[in-house]
Amino acid sequence: MHTVSRKTERLVNLTIALLATKRYITKSEIFRTVDGYEGSDESKERMFERDKDDLRNLGIEIEVGTFDPLFEDESGYRIKPENYQFQLGEINAQEITLLSLAAEAWRGASMGQSALSALNKLHAIGIESDSELLLDLAPAIINQDENLAIAISAITSKTVLSFSYLNEELQPQSRALEPFAVTSRYGHWYIFGNDLDRKANRLFRLDRISGDLKLQGKSSAFEIPSDLDVDNAFATSSEASHAIIFLRDGRGLNLRSRGAQSALTSAPAGWQEFRMEFRDRERFIEEILWYGNDVIVSEPEELRIEILKRLRVGVVTYG
Amino acid sequence: MAKTQSTPVEKAARLLDLVPFITTHQGIALSELAEEFNLSQSELLSDLNTLWMCGLPGYTPLELIDLEFESGYVSIRNAEVLQRVRLLTKQELVIILLGLDILRSSLDPKREDLQTAISGLTRRIKEIVGNVATASPIVDSTHRAIITQAIGSRMDLTVKYHSTIRDSVAERVITPLELSLDLGFEVLNAYCHSAEGFRTFRLENMRSVELAGSSVNVPEPCDISDYQWQLLIKSRFRTSSERFRSTYRPRESSVGEHVTVNSFSQDWLLRNAVSTLASVEVQLPVSARSLIAEKCQQTLELYENWVFPN
Repeated sequence: MHTVSRKTERLVNLTIALLATKRYITKSEIFRTVDGYEGSDESKERMFERDKDDLRNLGIEIEVGTFDPLFEDESGYRIKPENYQFQLGEINAQEITLLSLAAEAWRGASMGQSALSALNKLHAIGIESDSELLLDLAPAIINQDENLAIAISAITSKTVLSFSYLNEELQPQSRALEPFAVTSRYGHWYIFGNDLDRKANRLFRLDRISGDLKLQGKSSAFEIPSDLDVDNAFATSSEASHAIIFLRDGRGLNLRSRGAQSALTSAPAGWQEFRMEFRDRERFIEEILWYGNDVIVSEPEELRIEILKRLRVGVVTYG
Repeated sequence: MAKTQSTPVEKAARLLDLVPFITTHQGIALSELAEEFNLSQSELLSDLNTLWMCGLPGYTPLELIDLEFESGYVSIRNAEVLQRVRLLTKQELVIILLGLDILRSSLDPKREDLQTAISGLTRRIKEIVGNVATASPIVDSTHRAIITQAIGSRMDLTVKYHSTIRDSVAERVITPLELSLDLGFEVLNAYCHSAEGFRTFRLENMRSVELAGSSVNVPEPCDISDYQWQLLIKSRFRTSSERFRSTYRPRESSVGEHVTVNSFSQDWLLRNAVSTLASVEVQLPVSARSLIAEKCQQTLELYENWVFPN
């Protein structure tokens, strides 16, 4: 317990010393004046290197500069206040409220600790939230997958990720990815990046990753493209196909909301005709079959024949 | 609240954040401060005692941070160097970015001021971290707010609900009991007065949610009998497992996979079985097999008796 607070104290004291100084201070000055550097020169060096890394991981950048032009080999250190302080500039009560709500959305999810420290900082600004706004909205991000936190940390530190991904056959495949972005769609989380083996940008659904994401190699290992467009990654390159389907009155609600109802219809009474667009043929067939005798494919004929074939197999298999 | 002990680095980060917070909240009660930082009172005291030992080189009373908390209320002096609010880490900015995305989609479209404010904040954050995170929520945050309010004040709700299994939208009066997660999706466990039974509603399928009267008595929940089907998945292993919401593991072989799936809804199981005719065979129970045969036959007849050219 004692060593815990010694280390904590030293980190805080180092931060204060480097933040208060207007000029670069040398390592020997630090060892001489900052409380907590003890032991041999070698162990002080080791302590200092570790402390610098620890502070960097907290987002605190230590600047290295030359202390004195006459002693070029001795570098000095400082923390510039502008690199230490809250970086979103002036913000008002409404903005504080929105930022707080955004962080609170993670309550109970896998990023809870980061959300809490973000909230502590926002509240420390000392501007009261707009409480009227707080009542009507309860945003929540639903994620229990620890891999999301690892993915975000790999993106922000630009570190390569390796993981095992389950393909359609549920066989694990090793992947190495330069992660660029995370996104949630249709209730699932995805990670998008440059697949190093396939040498192309790819999208992976987080819950199809088997085991943990692993950080691989050094940080700042790649650049995230500045023109990144994650939404675009969902647009498949496969060409759209079309089908004419008949929907029973009031049925096939999801299909209705996606398709376009035909004005001129060949559908019998009690049915409506819709024109649908689809890209994944197999998925579309499964979706049509899901509705059983409430949805009938009219065109194209090859699709109708495939569905008929499956239904006949069903009758034979189960009959 | 029990939690794991902080590492020295986490503790240092917290101390750096405590200083500006106390500076803008001079005289805050210890209990309130502990709650803000999600700490027990003794953890907070340990933090404050450590902070007391910190200051500028020299470390005489002139340089040390001066804290007063024996009265139960905390105030701080001589901490000018640390009183700036610390920057948000990139990790924190990314999660805020995602949170703002979620928030944006459930705002009242009439509140253009809020939309503008969110766009402005999003732009400022993206300048720092890049366009690295987006979120499209499937649940309307205002629905969740009303549900939470109803549970807290024991009110009933009128819900317009799209049942995907029934393939229909209907209005129901329900007594909300608790929000929970079902395979990653947010669900509300409730007593449905329209159906006179306990039901689980997926939040994303609620078209509208409104407060109704205060809750009347809800009967004791009884065991809901589950349907259990045994499947043989023969191909499209991942898609088929996901369709039946069955958990999956990596597999070595390419032969079929036997799985057991449960659902309170036999209709849902039946729809999935017909949907996956080409890749999954339902083996048991026998009654399920005849249901599937019947559904296939009905659908087949529709095709065969209609005017389609064959």
